[in-house]
Amino acid sequence: MVTDVGHAQRVITRTRDSETSGGVLTEIGLVTWRSLVKLTRTPVLLFFSLFMPLIWLVMFSQTFGTVFSSATSGGLPGGGSPTPLPYDYVAVLLPGITVMTAIQSASQSGFAMVSDLESGFMDKFFVAPIRRSSVLAGKLLADGLRMAAQAGIILGIAALLTLAGWRIPFATGVFGAVLIMFLAAAFGVAFSGLSNTVALRTKNTESTMMVSFSLTFPLLFLSTAMLPKALLPSWVQSFSTVNPVSYMADAARALILTGYDWTALGNAIIAIAAFGIILNGLAVMAFRAQGK
Amino acid sequence: MSEAVTPRPDSKKKAVPARSSKGSLIDVRHLVKVYAGGGQEEVKAVNDVSFSVSEGEFFGFLGPNGAGKTTVIRIITTLLPKTSGSIRVAGMDVERDGAQIRRIIGYTGQSIGVDGELTGRENLWLIGRLYHMPKSLVKERVEELLEVLQLKDAADRRAYTYSGGMRRRLDLGAGLVHHPRILFLDEPTTGLDPQTRNAVWEYLRRLHREEKMTIFLTTQYMEEADQLCQRIAIIDQGKIVAEGSPTELKAAIGADIITVRITRDEAFEKSRDRALEIARMVPGVSRATIFDEGVSAHTADGGATLLEVLRRLDTEKVPVHQVALAHPTLDEVFLQHTGRQMRVEEVKPMSRGFGRRRR
Repeated sequence: MVTDVGHAQRVITRTRDSETSGGVLTEIGLVTWRSLVKLTRTPVLLFFSLFMPLIWLVMFSQTFGTVFSSATSGGLPGGGSPTPLPYDYVAVLLPGITVMTAIQSASQSGFAMVSDLESGFMDKFFVAPIRRSSVLAGKLLADGLRMAAQAGIILGIAALLTLAGWRIPFATGVFGAVLIMFLAAAFGVAFSGLSNTVALRTKNTESTMMVSFSLTFPLLFLSTAMLPKALLPSWVQSFSTVNPVSYMADAARALILTGYDWTALGNAIIAIAAFGIILNGLAVMAFRAQGK
Repeated sequence: MSEAVTPRPDSKKKAVPARSSKGSLIDVRHLVKVYAGGGQEEVKAVNDVSFSVSEGEFFGFLGPNGAGKTTVIRIITTLLPKTSGSIRVAGMDVERDGAQIRRIIGYTGQSIGVDGELTGRENLWLIGRLYHMPKSLVKERVEELLEVLQLKDAADRRAYTYSGGMRRRLDLGAGLVHHPRILFLDEPTTGLDPQTRNAVWEYLRRLHREEKMTIFLTTQYMEEADQLCQRIAIIDQGKIVAEGSPTELKAAIGADIITVRITRDEAFEKSRDRALEIARMVPGVSRATIFDEGVSAHTADGGATLLEVLRRLDTEKVPVHQVALAHPTLDEVFLQHTGRQMRVEEVKPMSRGFGRRRR
C-alpha cells in the first residue's frame, strides 16, 4: 500500500509552516502525555509512590505523637499559649509528609531520563524537529502533576482521618489544600533539577539514586518538616534556616494549623524559585550538552 | 570499470576529487570527529571522510565495530556535532539548518528506541505528532505503517511484549511516519535472526524501489551491504578505504573464479593440460592454474568468460565433468583493502585497550 508520498509531504510541510508558533505547547503536551501514560501503566510504581507516604504518615504520627504531645502539654516552648495544643501531631506532620513525598518523587525524576538515554528513545526526541527544551519542560510538567496528585491524595486521606477523631484543623479549607498541592508540585519540580542533572551527567541509575537518597533524608530531618522549629536542637535550628525544605514546610503547616501566613508563603515561593532556578539551570545545561 | 572505484589508501596524499554535487542529497567533505578521551588521550573516530549520496540511492557504510560508522551517521543526523569538515543534507548545512534537516530525515538507531510501556500504535502516533503532522494525517499514516510492517494484530499491545523482530520493525516505522526523504539506518539488523533479517531487507528494498526513498545504512554484515546497497563505502579505523558498487568493488579484485572439473578417464592428464591451454587463451582470464581435479581460472567477469571457456572446451572435445563459478565476496574486498579479515577486527578494540593500559 503505497500512498502519494509527494502529496503527504506537501501536506506535512504546509502544516508545519502554519504551526510554527503553536507548536511548542503541542510538543510539551506530547512529552507530558507520554510520561503520564507510562506512570499509569506502571501500577507498582504508582501504588508505592502513594502507599509509602501514607506509611510514613501513620508511622511517624504514632511513634512521635506521644512524645510530641508530652513535649507540648504546656504549649510550644517559647510560644504564647500555655494551654495544650488544639491539634494532634499528625496535623504538624502532614505538611512535612507532603514535602517528603514531593522530594521522593523528585529524586526519581532522573531515572526516566537515564532509561530514555539508555534505550535510545531520547534519540527519537532529539532527531525530531522539536525544541530540546520542550522535552525537559514536558517531563517536568508531568512530574509536577504527579506530585500535586500525590499531595492531594495525602491531604484527602488526612481529611478522612478527621472523621475518625484525628484533630487536624485544615484552617484554610479546600483552597488551602489546593495551595499546598501547588507548593508541593513546585517544590518537587525544583528539586527534580538535582536528580536530572546527576542522571544526565552520570547516565547511571545507581549514581542518581545514591546522590538523591543521601541528600533527601538530611534535608528532611534537618528542617522543620517533622517538628516545629521550637522543638529542634539549636544547631538543627540554625541549619533549618538555610534549608529550603523548612520554608516549604512552614508555609504548608501554617495553611493547615492557623491560616494564610503571607510572609511564610512569600518565603516559600522565594526559596522554591531560587532553588528551582539553580538546580534546573544545571539540568538544562546538562541536557543541552547531551551528545556533545 | 575500475575507474568508478576510488580506493584511498592515504587520503592525505591526494585531495579528494570533487564529485559533481549536482543531485547529491548528502554531501560530506573532509569530516573529522575527535572525541576527548577519558584521560589525556584523544580518539580520532572519524579521520577525513568524504563521500556523497545522490537522491534515490541506496548507500551503505560497511565496516567493523569501532570503525566510525555510528559517529558519521549521528553527525549527519544532527545528533552529534562534528569536529571539522562540511556536511550538507539537501543543500542545507548540518549545523546551521539542523532543524530543517531533521524534518526531512528519518533515523533508526542501533539500540531500538521504542517505548515499551506504550503500544505499537501509540509509539508511532507519538512520533508522528512530534513531527507536527496533523492528527488526521498521523492516524492514517500510522494505520498504513502498521499494515505494511505486519504489526496490525499487535498494535494495541504494549511494545515490551513484542519480539525482537517486531520491535525492530516498529522502530523502523517510527523513522518513517513523517515520510522522510532520506532514511538513516544504523545497523538495522544487528541481533536479528536470519528470517527477520530477510523480512527487514525485503521491506527496505520495497521502500527504496516503490517510494524512491534515499537510504543510508551502516552495517557490519558483508552480506547485507551486498544484498541491499547500490553503492558502498568501506570504512575502517575512521577512514574510507574503498568506495563503489558491490559489483565494482568485487570486480576490482578481478577474482571471479571459474572451476572446471575434467572427467576422470585414461586421458585425464592430457585433457587437463589442454583445458589449461584453452583457458589461458580466453580473453578476460587473468590467471589460470591446474589443480588435482581440473582447472581454475580467475576473471573479472565470470559469466561471460565462463560461457566462452565452455564453448571452446566443447569445440576441442575436452570432456567436462563439472563447472562452477564462484564470485568473490565483500569479505575479500575488505581483506584486500585493509589487509585484515573483518571478523578478526571485532575483538581488537579490547586488546588495544589493554595495550594502552600497559603503557
